[in-house]
Amino acid sequence: MTKTRNPLAITFDVWRAIFLREALDRLFDMRAAWFWLLMEPVMHIGFITALFTVVRLHKIAGADTAVWIIVGMLAFFLFRRTGIQVMYAVDCNSPMFAYRQVRPFDTAIVRGGLEGFLMVLVSAIILLTAAFLGHDVIPDDLIQTGIALLGLWLFGLGYGLVSSVLMALVPETEHILKILMMPLYLISGVIMPMGSVPLPYRDWLLLNPIANGLELVRQGYSQYYHMAPGASMSYLYLWALVSIMLGLMLYRRFDLKLVTQ
Amino acid sequence: MIIVNDVHKRYKTEHGAGKWVLQGVNFTIPQNLSVGLIGKNGAGKSTLLRMIGGADHPTKGSIERRCKVSWPMGQGGLEGTLTGRQNAKFVCRVHGHQANLADRLAFIQDFSELGEAFDEPISTYSSGMRSRLQFGLSLAFDFDVYISDEVTAAGDAAFRKKAAEAFKTTTSRAGLIMVAHDEGTLRDFCQAGVWIDNGKAHWFDDIEDALKAYKDTLPK
Repeated sequence: MTKTRNPLAITFDVWRAIFLREALDRLFDMRAAWFWLLMEPVMHIGFITALFTVVRLHKIAGADTAVWIIVGMLAFFLFRRTGIQVMYAVDCNSPMFAYRQVRPFDTAIVRGGLEGFLMVLVSAIILLTAAFLGHDVIPDDLIQTGIALLGLWLFGLGYGLVSSVLMALVPETEHILKILMMPLYLISGVIMPMGSVPLPYRDWLLLNPIANGLELVRQGYSQYYHMAPGASMSYLYLWALVSIMLGLMLYRRFDLKLVTQ
Repeated sequence: MIIVNDVHKRYKTEHGAGKWVLQGVNFTIPQNLSVGLIGKNGAGKSTLLRMIGGADHPTKGSIERRCKVSWPMGQGGLEGTLTGRQNAKFVCRVHGHQANLADRLAFIQDFSELGEAFDEPISTYSSGMRSRLQFGLSLAFDFDVYISDEVTAAGDAAFRKKAAEAFKTTTSRAGLIMVAHDEGTLRDFCQAGVWIDNGKAHWFDDIEDALKAYKDTLPK
């Protein structure tokens, strides 16, 4: 009999294979796919920043408008892209399950990791450009910013894990999740400061963990930013960890169902 | 050794569960034995192969693989948007051949005779080119048991001859489970046979007996 690999080695080999294949797909799938990966947030940021500065809004709640928009937008995209990429991981990789070493969970976790990695690159490019344009892009509190971003990424991963299984089990879920995604951009405070929303509506909006994450990232960025009172790191992490645990449990329970035809 | 234990299978359809394809399939394949699956179209041969290879799972029952079994070769497992080389790289990495990737790729490219098309997307391939690539892939790894769904039917006459010879050398020191519609191929490669009929599997130690049993049920 030929030598066999241990399960950990197989998983590692599979993760590397999927990572490289997915990276290729994400960056070179169509003509200059990597360009559009960068352009989507750039367009959003450019448009909103132009709009706000034309009305001479140079500060938002004590922070530089451009930086406030860049940081919020990038943090939001980190969540949304991770969530959506992980959500469609199983669906898009079904031909790969012909190799029984590839488990549905492998594709989901690798996609999440790849998206986080790509967003770091995209963010670095955009922030660097902003620095050349004369904005102060060094975070005041690197640790808070980092932890809040990590929380958003983890929540994106958890959201994607849960929704991908739900989507495979009940296809109608896709429509509902798409409808939910739509207003998320607005109610998460990407283009309006949470602190300016009157009570009790502010507390309602802060039930959304992404809104909490965005406020925390921004406060970490500039210490003079008036963060909405009530934004909480532990609330964000509660959502992130609960959704990831639930996602892991769903994958454990329905692993076979996801590949069975 | 592969143990197929009371395997039942039905597919999910748009309107709930479909009808049973396999109902209570039992057999054990010993080491280094080549087995051909025989049955009419839609009898469940490919379904059974896919489940033995682990690409699909039984609705009920279990399949135990006590050796290194290949993936179900010859159908699926290729991504249309990627090139032949990129697909081959993926399969090599999944099977743990990162270290000697270049050798394997060179072998696959050489054997499949794809030439420059190896760097073109799979979606541009003809069906013959696809199966040649799949054939190259199937020979690039060492397994204890190879699972072949018509891989041997790849390409034109010249390629088929070369492929059959190479496949024979590879499978002479390993086991083989195959589906083929050509009787000659089954006789060439297999010792034992499994006849699948009405969701049940019948084991024959000699492939000739299996073919005979199958033919007896055909309308004269």
